[in-house]
Amino acid sequence: MNLVRDCLDKQIDDRNKRRMGRVDGIVLEVEPGRPPRVAYVELGVKTLMMRLSSRLGNAIGHFMDSRRIESAPYRIPWGKIKVGLNEVRADVEAEQTPALEWELWLRKKVIGRIPGA
Amino acid sequence: MKKVFEIALGIVTSVGGFLEIGSIATAAQAGADFSFQLIWAILLGGLCIIFLVEQAGRFSAVSGRTIPDAIRERFGFNYFAFLYIVLALVTLLVLAAEIGGVCIALELATGIHFQWWTIPAAFLIWLVMWKGTFGVIEKGVSLLGLVTLCFVVGAYVIHPPEAQVLRGALPSLPQHNSVHYWFVAVSILGASISPYLFFFYSSGAIEDEWNEGYVGVNRIIATGGMTFGSVISISVLILAAMIFAPQGVKLEHYTQLPQLLVPVFGYRGYWLLVASVGISCLGAALEITLEIAYFTAQGFGWNWSENQRPRDEARFAAAYTLTIILAALITITGIDPLTITIFSMALTAATLPVSIVPFLFLMNDYSYVRVYRNGWFSNAVVVAIISIAFVLAVVSIPLQIFGGS
Repeated sequence: MNLVRDCLDKQIDDRNKRRMGRVDGIVLEVEPGRPPRVAYVELGVKTLMMRLSSRLGNAIGHFMDSRRIESAPYRIPWGKIKVGLNEVRADVEAEQTPALEWELWLRKKVIGRIPGA
Repeated sequence: MKKVFEIALGIVTSVGGFLEIGSIATAAQAGADFSFQLIWAILLGGLCIIFLVEQAGRFSAVSGRTIPDAIRERFGFNYFAFLYIVLALVTLLVLAAEIGGVCIALELATGIHFQWWTIPAAFLIWLVMWKGTFGVIEKGVSLLGLVTLCFVVGAYVIHPPEAQVLRGALPSLPQHNSVHYWFVAVSILGASISPYLFFFYSSGAIEDEWNEGYVGVNRIIATGGMTFGSVISISVLILAAMIFAPQGVKLEHYTQLPQLLVPVFGYRGYWLLVASVGISCLGAALEITLEIAYFTAQGFGWNWSENQRPRDEARFAAAYTLTIILAALITITGIDPLTITIFSMALTAATLPVSIVPFLFLMNDYSYVRVYRNGWFSNAVVVAIISIAFVLAVVSIPLQIFGGS
């Protein structure tokens, strides 16, 4: 498998085919004397911004921390990931994870309160 | 039989949804300032958008993907972020122009200054997005847009000189005011080749659940719809060339637009124009709003569909709500909507390579479109036209802004 071509930036769905986001980053673990191992896939604003520029990513991270917003990206262990032809599937329940934190917050606090939602 | 109906409906809605404030304003300005001489620009833009819309539909029908989705996958987040910022800024300006168009129609109907209509118009757009489905936006509003065919009737009734019309179909050098001539040509190309149009079409193909079986249907709809749509734009130019140009009238404000139809239809022409501008701008505003929300949601992997309840896709609903608010803030400043329209169309032309070049890569990528890849001719036509639009835009926009001849 080519990780960048087949996994990075792909749409990631949960076990019920609920859209969770995209694979924003891939974390490799490197131990001395062993080949690198894929440990996690990451979803989150900070990971995305780090890809644009590490300064920007750190600045966004500090800003989020100062507002008491969780800045650490959500990590899904590689063992729960299945990479298909055109999609990536995670063996998790999206609504129980931080990946949909903003979606649920918006639903509860803003969108869901507007008549007709 | 079902497919014949779909083709007919597809062409009719493409025709009804083709005209928007950019096409009306740029074609009317071209006719007023340069008579029939810029018909070639509409034909060139029309040819390019036929190819692009056909390719966008083919891409989504075969790959099951939308274009933003594939751009993020194929080119990574950094390019996606760049494209997103450029497109969002330009498209917000275009949306502000369309909201301005709705407000101008309301001003023409009521006499109340357009700025006062910004909030009601923005609320109406939001309400249709909130309550409506994709079908309501795609088909309902576009069917109402068929009222714009009154321009075609008008252009036929007014009997333009055929030889001059045909001569205008061939590119020619301007006899006067060359910077303005090329600037208007660029604005026409920007109005015709709007990225939001084929991105929206691509998302629509997914919403309508197209598959490989729709490749032929898509070709007929794209070709028929965009061809007839271009005929409406040419009709606006012909009317302006026959009515404004001989009197030396310059299009400086939208309130002059009713003069395009009043000489042909009398008092009814006034109301036909109000309806045409109002409905076509409302339709375009809905499509643009939806496209920005689609682009955002698809690029970031959120849940998206205009057919779902807002609470089931809160981020998507928040994206279109915020889009409408931002565009309305531009309109409410009171900047002349005609100025916003003309410049947003020229900027669209200048930014075409940013969105179209990666799209062409996708259209030639076997892993997405397999045997339905572009042929050399499709690639050559699109590359040639966007190169012309880009070069003309880069040269003429600064000259138009800072003066020059």
